Amino acid sequence: MMLKTLLLAGGALMGCAATAAASGFQVNLGGQQNIGMGGVGVGLSLDQAAMFYNPGALAMVRANGVQVGANFALARGAYTSASGGPQRDLQHLLVTPFNLYAAFGKEGKYKFGVGVYTPYGSQLRYADNWEGRYSLTEINLQSVYVQPTFSYAFSPQFSVGVGVTMLAYGSVNLQKDIPLPTGPAHITLDGTTKFQVGVNAGLYFKPSDKLSLGISYRSKIDAQVKGGNVNYAGLPTGASAATINRSFTATNFDATLPLPATASVGVGIMPTEKLTIGFDASLVFWSAYRTLDFNFSGNNGNAGTPTDASNGLVGGSSTSTSKRFYQDALAFRVGGQYKATDQLILRLGSAYDFAAVKDGYVTPETPDADRYIATAGLTYQPNPHLGIDASFQFERFAKRSQSQAELLNNGTTDRVAGTYRTDIFIPGIGVRYSF
Amino acid sequence: MNRIFNYSASVLGLLGLALGGCQPNIDAPAASAGTATFTTYLAVGNSLTSGYSDGGLYREGQLNSYPNILSQQFAAVGGGAFTQPLFTEAQANGTGYLRLTGFANGAPVTAAVTSNLAVRGLSAANGQVLYTKFTDPVNNLGVPGIRLADIQTVGYGSVAGNAYFERITPDASASQTYFQRMQATVAALKPTFFTEWLGNNDVLGYATGGGGSPSPTATITRTDTFTLKLNRVLNVLTSGGAKGVVATIPDVTGIPFFTTVGPSARAALAAASIPTAAPFVYTTGLLAPGQANTRVTGTLADIRVSGTGTLLLTLTAAPYVSLYGRPTGKYWRDYYQQLRPSLPATVPTFGVFLAAMQIDTTKAFGMSTGNPFPSVLVLDGTEQTAVANATTAFNNAIVAATTARSLALFDANTYFRGVAINGQASNAVSNSASYVSGNLFGLDGVHPTPRGYALIANEILRSINATYGSSFNGVNANDYRGVSFPQ
Repeated sequence: MMLKTLLLAGGALMGCAATAAASGFQVNLGGQQNIGMGGVGVGLSLDQAAMFYNPGALAMVRANGVQVGANFALARGAYTSASGGPQRDLQHLLVTPFNLYAAFGKEGKYKFGVGVYTPYGSQLRYADNWEGRYSLTEINLQSVYVQPTFSYAFSPQFSVGVGVTMLAYGSVNLQKDIPLPTGPAHITLDGTTKFQVGVNAGLYFKPSDKLSLGISYRSKIDAQVKGGNVNYAGLPTGASAATINRSFTATNFDATLPLPATASVGVGIMPTEKLTIGFDASLVFWSAYRTLDFNFSGNNGNAGTPTDASNGLVGGSSTSTSKRFYQDALAFRVGGQYKATDQLILRLGSAYDFAAVKDGYVTPETPDADRYIATAGLTYQPNPHLGIDASFQFERFAKRSQSQAELLNNGTTDRVAGTYRTDIFIPGIGVRYSF
Repeated sequence: MNRIFNYSASVLGLLGLALGGCQPNIDAPAASAGTATFTTYLAVGNSLTSGYSDGGLYREGQLNSYPNILSQQFAAVGGGAFTQPLFTEAQANGTGYLRLTGFANGAPVTAAVTSNLAVRGLSAANGQVLYTKFTDPVNNLGVPGIRLADIQTVGYGSVAGNAYFERITPDASASQTYFQRMQATVAALKPTFFTEWLGNNDVLGYATGGGGSPSPTATITRTDTFTLKLNRVLNVLTSGGAKGVVATIPDVTGIPFFTTVGPSARAALAAASIPTAAPFVYTTGLLAPGQANTRVTGTLADIRVSGTGTLLLTLTAAPYVSLYGRPTGKYWRDYYQQLRPSLPATVPTFGVFLAAMQIDTTKAFGMSTGNPFPSVLVLDGTEQTAVANATTAFNNAIVAATTARSLALFDANTYFRGVAINGQASNAVSNSASYVSGNLFGLDGVHPTPRGYALIANEILRSINATYGSSFNGVNANDYRGVSFPQ
């Protein structure tokens, strides 16, 4: 019942996705207070968002409560081709990762809770007719995890927590142009993922009032699309139709995208009552992402009476594979908060995320690069029960270039040579009510 | 609480929008000339330099010629106007060319474009078609068909000579050779940079004629002649201190002209359940009355397909391979019509021609020694060796002449060999050397498409960058078409 209500509430915010805000297409936007502090949280027990950062810390969160938050990510991207031409700017999209948490229990002893959040996602739309149009024109990748969580404190110093992560909703929409001798056509792959479960678990240790430590691990979930839709536009209709369209018979596709495991450790330091400082290090196991494979099926009759040989063709082949060969990616985060008054808390933070994508493997769908992140935030608490949190995160991607020679060497000529640069601006707002 | 939330949300939203308006910019490195000067560019070459494509020279091909693409890149570092002998808009189809009209059973169907031509009449001297003159000075001296062996031939620009050179030869200097034209152009323009790509036709005519064509240009030029003329050309081009690029000659046996018909014929014969052990009889050597017309009897397995077999069938063999095994004289009638203007009086009729050639059209074509497959449609192993040896010898001469003058080298042979094996991707588009579908070669199976010329221009720019320390980006080849299909 609880889960259903939360899903419905989450549904109100859905149709929204996230621009990747950590390495690869991971999104590290779990809670507004944490975001304001550079995204730290594994070694802290700030609020119910502990379910995301470290389920082990949930039992130590002071009050019962519900909280909801959303971010408004504005990505500004630029690309210039290695073969010259004008700078191509990403089209402006607003994407809104969100989260929702509710937890109840006995303070300092145990807590039950459920969280809804969007840990992976990406939405990018490239400029019309850009050089990489035959690799990608548009991507929209969404995921919503629902995580029932239980956390138990063995002592005032030590607690553990386990959540069952459920890929409750996931969708992928990939579009690109097809280079045909009759002129460019367009293909859209669109599908939703199967329900999958994983685990998010953590330990939290607070040896003194001034120090806390945490460790957490969130397992990999494979986002599997079965029977997604394949749609074409702009295939020829006249003299060349029979010759060309026979290679485009597929109506459905299967694909699997790994949503990789993440291991994190964190430290919290509270030198005074008013000041909290956190450090996190996390490792995302992106090396699980080796290739992006599509298997095509179905037959739209473009090759005449369907036969085994003519089933499920896109560009004359019933499969496609594209190298990713991601590498495990580290991130380091630091942030702090200062309780200026009983009503006002101020935050600052910073982080550095290493790229998951290796040189010469950058694809338009994830123009990944090492990222510098700066954040700020504040909380306004009109009364002890209510907190309004605002955050702002800025990410600057290091300029990333790859040459056609690198693509040739790596066998990755299904993407384009050139230079990418991206900045992301992410304001966020949340509200907490505790009782 | 709601008010506060709404207020904060809108403030944050505005803040985000304001900051989000900051578009990152990538400072692309500007093109630079390096140690060369690109103020005045002169292109010397043959059909490849003229922009010839799809079996003809026409305005679109000229506009997409690699020298024109290069000149647009050079403009970024002070390159001046680059004049080509363009056909006018009204005569945009120039000499006419082949276009793809559709498909019959999956096989491409081509037709000649016959409207808006630049034909001004027929030559009184030899009946060849003459084209609307373009006698202004030009920077692109690409002349389709020209061999290095031809550059000092007097009368090459006359109505009895090369119609493409005749077109750009001013009436006042009608007897000027190509070499003299080049000297005059260098003297007048004082080029600071040049590209030189001659020599392909010194072996191509022999190869495309299957090593059996009696045409006087279908021979392999002597290497000493080739080397002598090449050095004369380069001496003139570098006389004013100009820098430039010299291109080698690609091995022609990898182009679709030789790689298309053999495999498709083998597939068709296999589909018709004709065993590969069936006899394949072809002639070898020059194919003309009075020649030996030696017959070789092999099997269909001798036709090369994916690495097995040796015989290459020319693209011009396409209409005849399906006649294999039939009692037909179609090929011989067509060949008689083609040779007729040059046949001696002793061969007055088709019947006499057949007798002289020792052909019996009642026998199975290509299967019987009485009615062999003609050598002009087959490049056999011996002929391929002759082509390979000549290509190697010519390229050695080119590399030596280029190195001696410290010029940049565009190794077209290496480049095209790579393309024939691996294709070449351009911005996530696969291109290959396949006929029609590969994007790179036009409908004549020999000359590149605009896409192919764009990739060649990019390769030449890489050579220039490497030798002269310049930095040119090149072009997005996908902006240039491959073979255009009807909708």
